[in-house]
Amino acid sequence: MPALAMRGIVKRFGDLVAIGGVDLELDPGVIVGLIGENGAGKSTLSNIAFGAFAPDEGTVERNGIVGLVHQHFQLVERLSVWENVLLGREPRKGWRLDVAAARARVRELGERYGLHVDPDAIVETLPIGMKQRVELLRELEREPAILLLDEPTAVLAPSEIESFFTTVVALAERGIAIMVVTHKLAEVIAYTSRVCVMRAGTIVARYETNQTTAGELARAMVGGEIPPLSERSPLPRQVLPILHVRELRARTGSDAIDGIEFALQAGEILGIAGVEGNGQTALADALAGVTAYDGTIRFREEELPDSLGPRGRMERGMQIIPQDRHHEALVLDWSLAENAILGRQGSAEMRRGQQIDREAARTFAQTIVERFDVRPPRVDLRVRGLSGGNQQKVVVGRALAGTPKFVLAYQPTRGIDVGATALVQSRLIEARNAGTAILLISFELDEIFALADRVLVLYRGKIAGEFNRDAFDRGRIGALMAGHT
Amino acid sequence: MKLPRGVRDAAIALGIIIVFGSLAMLLAGVNPLDGFSALLIGALGNVQETAETLVQTTSLLFPALGIALAFRAGLFNIGAEGQLLMGGLLAGVLGEQLTAPGFVTIPILLLAGAVGGGLWGALAGWLRARFAANEVIATLMLNYVAIQVAAYAISGPLKSAGGAGYETGELPAQSWLPTILPDTRLTVALILALALAFFLRWMLRSTVVGYQLRAVGDAPQAARRAGIDLAKMRFWTMAASGAIAGLGGATVVLGVLHRFNLALSPGYGFIGIAVALVGELDPLWVTVAAFVFGILQNGAIGMQAAANVPRDVVTAIEGLIILVLAGRRIITRNGSD
Repeated sequence: MPALAMRGIVKRFGDLVAIGGVDLELDPGVIVGLIGENGAGKSTLSNIAFGAFAPDEGTVERNGIVGLVHQHFQLVERLSVWENVLLGREPRKGWRLDVAAARARVRELGERYGLHVDPDAIVETLPIGMKQRVELLRELEREPAILLLDEPTAVLAPSEIESFFTTVVALAERGIAIMVVTHKLAEVIAYTSRVCVMRAGTIVARYETNQTTAGELARAMVGGEIPPLSERSPLPRQVLPILHVRELRARTGSDAIDGIEFALQAGEILGIAGVEGNGQTALADALAGVTAYDGTIRFREEELPDSLGPRGRMERGMQIIPQDRHHEALVLDWSLAENAILGRQGSAEMRRGQQIDREAARTFAQTIVERFDVRPPRVDLRVRGLSGGNQQKVVVGRALAGTPKFVLAYQPTRGIDVGATALVQSRLIEARNAGTAILLISFELDEIFALADRVLVLYRGKIAGEFNRDAFDRGRIGALMAGHT
Repeated sequence: MKLPRGVRDAAIALGIIIVFGSLAMLLAGVNPLDGFSALLIGALGNVQETAETLVQTTSLLFPALGIALAFRAGLFNIGAEGQLLMGGLLAGVLGEQLTAPGFVTIPILLLAGAVGGGLWGALAGWLRARFAANEVIATLMLNYVAIQVAAYAISGPLKSAGGAGYETGELPAQSWLPTILPDTRLTVALILALALAFFLRWMLRSTVVGYQLRAVGDAPQAARRAGIDLAKMRFWTMAASGAIAGLGGATVVLGVLHRFNLALSPGYGFIGIAVALVGELDPLWVTVAAFVFGILQNGAIGMQAAANVPRDVVTAIEGLIILVLAGRRIITRNGSD
């Protein structure tokens, strides 16, 4: 008997058919991978399996309790581990909390599943891998028969990923039915028994994992061949660096850098590898001129003070591709044409006296639409209505227009589909070939390996290692990302 | 079907007027149909009343346009009432003294009104830019400061021979705004307000400054990364917003009362919030909304006389619209930085 059986599931949001008729069974002791691109319906399907959404058609049969571990931790940071694990199910002694019993319960769970955490530790003080253990313990406390894991490794370093999956495999051996929702094919190949591929709301392929390959899964996800990236021309001979950063210290919220040094030459892509939260945002904000910093940033033989701000940086040939396209890059309720000129609104080409030159804006937007294959190719539509990939094409196209001297690309392909990713990455390579210096900050090692000429590993605000393209070493870089030396 | 927010706001406002108004009339023992028809006849029944409705429309339109401008930049200017008062104060105090011909004094006094309101708005803008003070609180509080400052000024240091403790003396007749309809209080202020509405609409839609202002309001983080100075833009927008409200205060002094009076505004700066929101913050529709609220303001008097419905019903309706529309925006605002 399956632990969970979904039959004929259909889910609509307004006119959009998010799930268009899916059958899926999870069996005790079996790990199933559910893969697909952003927007394929994976999260909706797991929410239906969990019971957060009711399907419009079809049935869900659950033989046991369902646990769900979210991509973004659902923890109360200020509370202790036991308070989080037992939240809402606290053991009582009369009208008081039975703290001793609570601690014992969390310890016992930790013993049983090999997930050791100090029950009294405050969650916000724990490293990310530990937080995930707490998240997992909270779900296991309810003794689930089915466990759903939604992008569980998104914020983990490579070594943490391994230990996480060791736990997951052990849970399956205890008879729990497990579904891992992910877009990381390597994890699916390594740890699952079966895999289902979703595309546009339906399951388009099912495989026994040992009968398939990552390449076959990728083709099934995309529905065709993945477009190859542009060729890289040979790196030009070493010349004076265009950007030279020394002793840089900055802070954005809890994210900080503490004494960073690097140089970047024209026509080079420098990758910044690291797990999210190790100083990437502070570095990006300091370079973009939106936060105060100590240390020096020299750009084209000129020192840039933090008081210069984004305007002065743009005038000197810097462009940024911000991490958060919805808040930091686009005005979602504006048209594509209005968004295309954001950053150029005061420039001579885009104005006629005091007025915005609408024709020039439309023409400029049209060149981006054509060069980046934005669909639909209409410059007067609101960007809110575009897919994430097409929105990102506008952001990247705007930054790369006119071959800037330097581009800061912070997670340039975050959350966009494979086709758009390949296009954006190719355009970045072409800009590099044309002489643009690019600082690529990415949480995806694959992206850094695909694009960078050189990589720096960022760990806790400092540079933990440097590798040239001919000496990229995934194991070594992964270890440095996790803080091993 | 999901309606655009502006249409929803207008529908909500109309719903409140009809439902809440009818309820209040029923409680007062009046058939709502009689009450509303008395209101419309009171507002538009003859040339005199229509002109008076347009006077109210004008007095509402200035602060509403200022508020709409600030809201478009993401600034919740709740202080138009105080800005209007300060504009009126400066125009009144100065106007009482000036004796030159009207073509000299009127432009100077209108400018003085804009300066008075502009400084008061700029104060809130400066507090926001310098100390990151929440402009909702700052502008709201400055309303109370404004009334005290004005009361002190006209009863103390700026008290004139012709003035009483609560108002200045009458302005010389050549400084009064010319009427555009004989035997009414309707003046060129209406034309000025309409011209301002058209100018603001063009400014917001077509100019570089308008583009930057809208960017700051709609996506401050994106605007900042696109090289727009948020602090500067917010400061000048608050100053401009206050100046428009202050200009409105000056038109009340020059065109309607012919003197400054502490009670010169029956809440134009607050009702203006509702006018701006019902008008979707688009100067064109704000103008239409100001006319609707002008009907309410003026019709209330006729309604009280003809149908025996207390005019406070209209005040309560207006308050409810502000509460629902402005409250929702302030609560759901996400333009923080």
